[in-house]
Amino acid sequence: MRPILLSGHERALTQVKFSKEGDFIFSVSKDHVVCAWYSANGERFGTYHGHQGALWTVDVNPTTTLLATGGADSTMRLWDVKTGKLLKTWDYLTSIKRVEFSEDGKQLLGVTEKRTGQLSNIYVYDIINDVDAEQTSEPSLHIVVDELPRVTVAGFSYLNKYIITGHEDGSIAQWDAKTGEMLNNVYSHEDGMLVSDLQWSADRTYFITSSKDKTAKLHDTNTLEVLKTYVADTPLNSAAITPDPQQYVILGGGQAAMDVTTTSARQGKFEARFYHKIFEEEVGRVRGHFGPLNYVAVDPTGKCYCSGGEDGYVRVHHFDPPYFDFKYEVERERERGKF
Amino acid sequence: MAAVQNPPGRTDWAEESEPDLATAIPPPQITKNKDGTETIVTVFINEDGKRVKRTQRIKKTIVKKKENPRVAERKSWPKMGQETGREMGPRPDTTTLGENIIFKPVIGFKSGQQQEKAPEEDKKAEALKKMQIKCRICSGDHFTTKCPFKDTMAPEGEAAQPADMDAVTGGEAAGGLGAGGGGYVPPHLRKGGAATGERMGGGKFERDDLATLRVTNVSEFAEEGDLREMFARFGHVTRVFLAKDRETQKAKGFAFVSYADRSDAQVACERMDGYGFGHLILRVEFAKKST
Repeated sequence: MRPILLSGHERALTQVKFSKEGDFIFSVSKDHVVCAWYSANGERFGTYHGHQGALWTVDVNPTTTLLATGGADSTMRLWDVKTGKLLKTWDYLTSIKRVEFSEDGKQLLGVTEKRTGQLSNIYVYDIINDVDAEQTSEPSLHIVVDELPRVTVAGFSYLNKYIITGHEDGSIAQWDAKTGEMLNNVYSHEDGMLVSDLQWSADRTYFITSSKDKTAKLHDTNTLEVLKTYVADTPLNSAAITPDPQQYVILGGGQAAMDVTTTSARQGKFEARFYHKIFEEEVGRVRGHFGPLNYVAVDPTGKCYCSGGEDGYVRVHHFDPPYFDFKYEVERERERGKF
Repeated sequence: MAAVQNPPGRTDWAEESEPDLATAIPPPQITKNKDGTETIVTVFINEDGKRVKRTQRIKKTIVKKKENPRVAERKSWPKMGQETGREMGPRPDTTTLGENIIFKPVIGFKSGQQQEKAPEEDKKAEALKKMQIKCRICSGDHFTTKCPFKDTMAPEGEAAQPADMDAVTGGEAAGGLGAGGGGYVPPHLRKGGAATGERMGGGKFERDDLATLRVTNVSEFAEEGDLREMFARFGHVTRVFLAKDRETQKAKGFAFVSYADRSDAQVACERMDGYGFGHLILRVEFAKKST
């Protein structure tokens, strides 16, 4: 496969997201600009201007009409995907580390950073899926995370039932998305190792978390039970689950940016790692970035994946036949009807 | 929607500028060819201000594809932001193609095994290619063990060696494996072994290296007989060796000619150097001892 290199950013990428149909890629970086790309050929569709600080996070709603971003200028913004018009700005006291639309696109959550005496907050807004509508300024739910350490990642479960958060100390928490009550809290990653990413399976009944403890773990949404563990040899920044029928997870990471200059690309382990989702075994790697991979995202239709790196590039990879054909012997046997 | 431009094999899309400098630019002419292609002739002024006539042959292929209507609608959206007003299609400043990556999932993948193996093998093959095989006996491009002269001619420097070795080993205790303090001595160098382990045919038939000529730039159609005929004019030729390719049986381009007498060789060397043979000019020199 020939990767397509998207070089619209001048600084390190922080997050990349696919639209639901996989035709668009949205990327944010520390250079204040949001870029939208066509995934098929790497053509840039446009840019969204307005943020005054580094951007940490981006998400698009299921209909690819609204785009939410959050960054170090302590604002969360809502954009019209088509025209690039800024529709709404929510102001906070600290920067926004994570935004995510719910499965149905009717709710949007934002996570503020714990800093300068401020606690981590989770804000949930009801969103009207209409670019001309006036969006609300009042959160429908506001959770102040005072008992747990800083929230790094968060997301909506299936049917907006729970909000799952990942924390600085490696713990995962489950909250009721209606009342804001904390339901469960588990320490699945090594103590003190930050949870760097949380991504959902297609039906949001399970999710994968990556951590600086060099592992990624598959969790059950209801019980927070660890279903699978994928062990890597480098701190992980991101983990993604490929949609069915392919059974992979893709992990991205690498040494921290500050250590990069002293190591070569190979030693730096700047590769996307493919693990078999069920057998927890590494099956391959994809090289290319000159810095750690800050985010990996998979096309919801399963045809490609992209990674955003510290080197300022987004690399889009359209999978080749071997990716689709690969199966373990037991999988083949099951297909032949032996089991 | 896909219009394939310039099918491979057509290179005539840019033609010489015309000498007449008419200011009017005619509109592009489109003619339909019989084979379903279209020929478009455009005349325009290029960056250097020259009039350029461009002939393009275009074959249009219609590829039908089902697409999600929402995706199709998004494809036609006008660009915005920094891309406002730009044409469809990726731009080279933001979008480039990377190098091809072979990604093939394998069971039991180990880091550094799968992807590193290939380049390493390449390196080995390359090193082999680069490494010039040089015979230590005749300086030909074959291994010393395959040298046709290996029975008759010792590698350089070896003639002097046995004498030295004898002197060294002579002082040592007789025979015995690892006898004395001198460590392991190979059997043929041990005192007793020196008598029995005589080299087969050694010395006796050793070719007189001084009377051997190295002939290079030999035509690939040459035969040993031709060479013998040519070189026999100058004296008694004891041996002609023409290096041939094992597979094709064609001459590799060099040969060795040995004379019984060195003076004959000297004459032959002078006469035959620069002699036209076949379509090539021979180069003849005394066979050098390899270093």
